[in-house]
Amino acid sequence: MTVYVYDGSFEGLLTAVYEAFYRREKPDKIIQRNNLQMDLTAQYIYIDTDKEKSERVYNSIREKISVRALQNVYYVFLSEVEEAGTLIYNYLKFGWKVGPKVDLHMADDRVLTVLKIRRKVECEVHKMMGFVRFRLLEGDIYYAPIAPVHNIVELLAPHFAQRLADQNWVIYDERRNLAAVYNRREWVMTDTVPDRIPESGEGELLYQKLWKEFFNSIAISSRKNPKLQKRLMPVRYWRYLTEMQ
Amino acid sequence: MELLQKLNILSAAAKYDVACTSSGSMRKSTPGTFGNTVSAGICHSFSSDGRCISLLKILMSNCCVYDCAYCVNRVSNDIPRATFTPEEVVDLTINFYRRNYIEGLFLSSAVVKNPDYTMERIIKIVRTLREEYRFNGYIHTKAIPGADQRLIEEAGRYVDRMSVNIELPTSEGLKLLAPQKKKETILGPMGFISSKIAESSEDRKAFKKAPLFVPAGQSTQLIVGATPDHDLKILKLSEGLYRRYKLKRVFYSAYVPVSKHPCLPANIKPPLLREHRLYQADWLLRFYGFSADELLDDNHPNLDMQLDPKCDWALRNLHSFPVEVNRADYESLLRVPGIGVRSARRILAARKVGTLDFPDLKKLGVVLKRARYFITCKGKYYDRIKMDDVFIRQNLLADRSQMPDIESGDYTQLSMFPLLPAAPTSQDIFASITGEM
Repeated sequence: MTVYVYDGSFEGLLTAVYEAFYRREKPDKIIQRNNLQMDLTAQYIYIDTDKEKSERVYNSIREKISVRALQNVYYVFLSEVEEAGTLIYNYLKFGWKVGPKVDLHMADDRVLTVLKIRRKVECEVHKMMGFVRFRLLEGDIYYAPIAPVHNIVELLAPHFAQRLADQNWVIYDERRNLAAVYNRREWVMTDTVPDRIPESGEGELLYQKLWKEFFNSIAISSRKNPKLQKRLMPVRYWRYLTEMQ
Repeated sequence: MELLQKLNILSAAAKYDVACTSSGSMRKSTPGTFGNTVSAGICHSFSSDGRCISLLKILMSNCCVYDCAYCVNRVSNDIPRATFTPEEVVDLTINFYRRNYIEGLFLSSAVVKNPDYTMERIIKIVRTLREEYRFNGYIHTKAIPGADQRLIEEAGRYVDRMSVNIELPTSEGLKLLAPQKKKETILGPMGFISSKIAESSEDRKAFKKAPLFVPAGQSTQLIVGATPDHDLKILKLSEGLYRRYKLKRVFYSAYVPVSKHPCLPANIKPPLLREHRLYQADWLLRFYGFSADELLDDNHPNLDMQLDPKCDWALRNLHSFPVEVNRADYESLLRVPGIGVRSARRILAARKVGTLDFPDLKKLGVVLKRARYFITCKGKYYDRIKMDDVFIRQNLLADRSQMPDIESGDYTQLSMFPLLPAAPTSQDIFASITGEM
């Protein structure tokens, strides 16, 4: 078995796809360095990320397959599922064969898995648009810690940059140590996070209390249905929800 | 009175209002305003009853002059009363919105003094939010029945959605339980709003900058189970509202006993399953091209509690099946139990690049557990299917997904078919052999 190993960046992954077409040893798997579990029977080929090669793959996906396919690939990359690299490689191989209509082949497993993962990522983005909870810190910064399953902070940021355009805010992914930071003009991604989060601002606790009060009194007790509640709002998100504390 | 206590009273008083959708409006964020709306709507939380929380749903006041028997806020009920000041509502909305707790405000109210006075107070709040605070999020308000049309028109310019609750599906019900309300005072504003919406969307075709009027449309709510009305009557009413007044949504609310009144059913569990079936039927009306008369008729005026309305319809119309998946048009695909809007669209797309077989359908999201009785792929049935209603019905009933995650309670309803015995039947044994459980 031949395994290509890339550095975990999107460019690295696209470079691996590039190499898969030009090298003699075709990969059975494309794996991210951090997910690597050595197997004695496999042959590992380490791919050096190359900006030019990755750009050529990027443009080729957009021109020979479709913009939609490019998005699919990026969403699967952000999903951080373990087999992401391999799935993307197989999807692209098929895509270059059939062209722009690739996504109509929904019953083909190579396409189906990619579309399913994309949907999952999109679903989480949509859910998190609702579940992100900001608290107002000293210094007039709205701060929201999250821990999504997929790496979606950068997909959430544009929504909040539109919606809360006149606020300073930070959405911090605790699991990945990644943050989107917005300063009332533009947002940027950063992985340098201060070790001390400022205290909550004045009045913050009052609004948290009011929100919890509202959350409890809006429920109809004779219709109690915790199963439904958990299905729609999975417990893994509760840690960061003000009303569930 | 403290704000916390007011919020407690006035949100608890608003909780029987079902509508909490924030969809259908596309306010873009613009410089100088804050907030926007997303056309699909966003749920921000789910309360312990499993219902979505999207908007800050509160009453402006619960000091009502009316005495509707089904309502907690009726004047004769001995409960704590409270009224928000406009500043309080504005402050809560903005601070909740900035923390991403909510999509916006749902402001309803009991009738304080008189309908006009109440409507004016509501307008004051929404005007302050929009003009002073430049709030661009979602706002849903009630049009108070009996309020002056000018006031309703003014409110409509600030809000995304307006609703007038019908509550009781028939005039007899109204007479009995809400003697101060009349059908005309409810339908009047509804018709007015709907004509204004039509007018405004015409204007906007000509001038892009023409002012918005209730861009997310109207909705209403019907209480289910407080009066002996049949499902047929309720669905016909909804159908009329969708067609005539172009309503966006009709909500159904299982009657929760909030008071003892000689005209009201006492101590019943809320008919949640019936409510669920009505929503299913409502979806069939809005997205699946069904009419109320197809789903129910005078001999069969109530929805089947055991089977979803589409399965039930299909069983009574076996002559229109099977449908050949590789050739059927979108409308016929939609009528197959187990095929929804999304899977029907996927079938149409996937058909362009190849013929489909049963395993493919499963991948496209078709629920074969139900669909297999009603379709053919490349001219072939799924396994050994008998086109026989008793056979199909019994197999469908073995499917647990027919019963949602709600307790049906002790609620029973007449059904065209007798209840099936719980003991395994020969069909069950047959099913376990063929693996069709």
